[in-house]
Amino acid sequence: MASGKAMTGAAVYGALLNRIEAERKRSRIIRSVLYLGLLGLVVWSVKVTVVEDTDWARMGSFGAILKSVDRFIGFDFSLLPNLIGPTIETLMIACLGTMLGVIICIPVIWFGALNITPFKPVTYPIARLLMTLSRSIHEIVWALFFVAAVGLGALAGVLAIAMRSVGFIAKISAEAIEDIDPAPVEAIRAVGGNGFQVLIYAIVPQILPVVIGVIIFEWEINIRRSAILGLVGAGGLGLMFFRQMNTFNFPGVTTVIFAILCIILVGEFLSHYGRKSVI
Amino acid sequence: MTMGNSDHIGAVAVAPQWRRFRFPASLIRYGVVLGVFLLLGYSIEYLEIPLERLFPMFGKIGHLVTDRYYPADIDYILDATYLGSVVDTIQMAYLSALFGLLISVPLGWFASYNMTPHRRFVYPLARLVTMLGRAVHEMIWTILFVSILGFGMLPGVLALTVFCTGFAAKLFAEEIEAIDMGPVEAIKATGASLFQVFVYGVIPQVRVAFTGIAIYTWDVAFRAATVVGFFGAGGMGWYLKRNVQQIETERVAAILLSIVVLVLLSEVVSAWARAKVAKSK
Repeated sequence: MASGKAMTGAAVYGALLNRIEAERKRSRIIRSVLYLGLLGLVVWSVKVTVVEDTDWARMGSFGAILKSVDRFIGFDFSLLPNLIGPTIETLMIACLGTMLGVIICIPVIWFGALNITPFKPVTYPIARLLMTLSRSIHEIVWALFFVAAVGLGALAGVLAIAMRSVGFIAKISAEAIEDIDPAPVEAIRAVGGNGFQVLIYAIVPQILPVVIGVIIFEWEINIRRSAILGLVGAGGLGLMFFRQMNTFNFPGVTTVIFAILCIILVGEFLSHYGRKSVI
Repeated sequence: MTMGNSDHIGAVAVAPQWRRFRFPASLIRYGVVLGVFLLLGYSIEYLEIPLERLFPMFGKIGHLVTDRYYPADIDYILDATYLGSVVDTIQMAYLSALFGLLISVPLGWFASYNMTPHRRFVYPLARLVTMLGRAVHEMIWTILFVSILGFGMLPGVLALTVFCTGFAAKLFAEEIEAIDMGPVEAIKATGASLFQVFVYGVIPQVRVAFTGIAIYTWDVAFRAATVVGFFGAGGMGWYLKRNVQQIETERVAAILLSIVVLVLLSEVVSAWARAKVAKSK
């Protein structure tokens, strides 16, 4: 009797072992097929994009490539005084764009947070769609659109950056609102606060550090973005870069990139300390 | 949020009027807010932004869209050559994300303060490379590579690789900096080499996070890949540029539409994959 029980126990155990083995084997096969597929995709992509699509004759030998890299090495000091204006412009486009983005954000956040959205089946999906749309369209595309709408100049850049920033700020802020502690909301409601007062005294103080942190973070990214919007006609360092490139002043190109790096470093520094002091 | 908050204040006999921020903190706070607004006001002045154009803009955008962009030329984007460029774009994003991720694993390792092989030399160097890849916008990398290597998808792939490297390496490094040092210590105690410590002590802890970051990187790379063609590096951006310059606005509208749809699609796929990875944690 006892041995029979042990036998069945061993059998159950063996079956389990077999099943685990089989599962492991299956997952190994699936995984190797997956890796093989990925590898095949790589080979195919390399063949199409790199081997077939490249004009190897124009590129010439490795020495020729080095020579064209060599053109960029150098520094055009005569350009430096002309860079100050565009640098300030770039920074300001980033600041204004972020600010406008924050203003546009407010209704989007209100609609996009599940717990405060006014009419869930309609407003919530609209806000989510707006957030995704804003994040998914590249800043160059936004800038092209606004240059067509308001003409060349800084305004197009500001609008493009504002539209591009809405998505990220709104998404993080809406998630912060969804995660708030409901007790203060209850408390303000209990003392007879209306919806607006609930918003001001119960919700805003809870999410403010997160939101300000996100805004500063987005501002830092926006400096990067505003530095290239000039390429499609929206002022700042990008325009300078474009001019240097089109006049084949390659050391000048390096100088402009250096200026871009400088303001990005400044932005990163300010953003680091700004976020630290907020949180 | 608890600036200027101290516990001993309650002990003062005369209850002071309650304020959220006390004297120096409140002054700094209002000063910062005032400074930000002054700066913004001054920038509107400096940039000579025509504010009177801001409100007519909405009407103008309406006109623009209905008159010129409205019947988007859908046939154009269903054309075989254009669909081919979509495939090119996806391939470009795939390759560059892959190469970028391959480079960024060691780079992220070197750029994480707690695990870097050498804090004085390797760490700052890796940080610099990471920052350079991320700080210079991908469009600038594209223009540089195009001017060196000529038109085609290769410069696009390289530019996006640099961008993805910077992007992923920073996130990887942050992830590695947040690991539990216990297993690392344990493996170090067995006399493992630096590489072995990384493989057996660090990788198992960050594997899931890495997968999530990898998917996210692919998503970002695809978003950028749709426009790198604008500066001469193959894919859909090239068609965008051509039609923008020829003022074929209806085709531009169609291309923009296709970009939005594809990016939304990639975002949905990426969100789904990331959720799945997070669930399997």
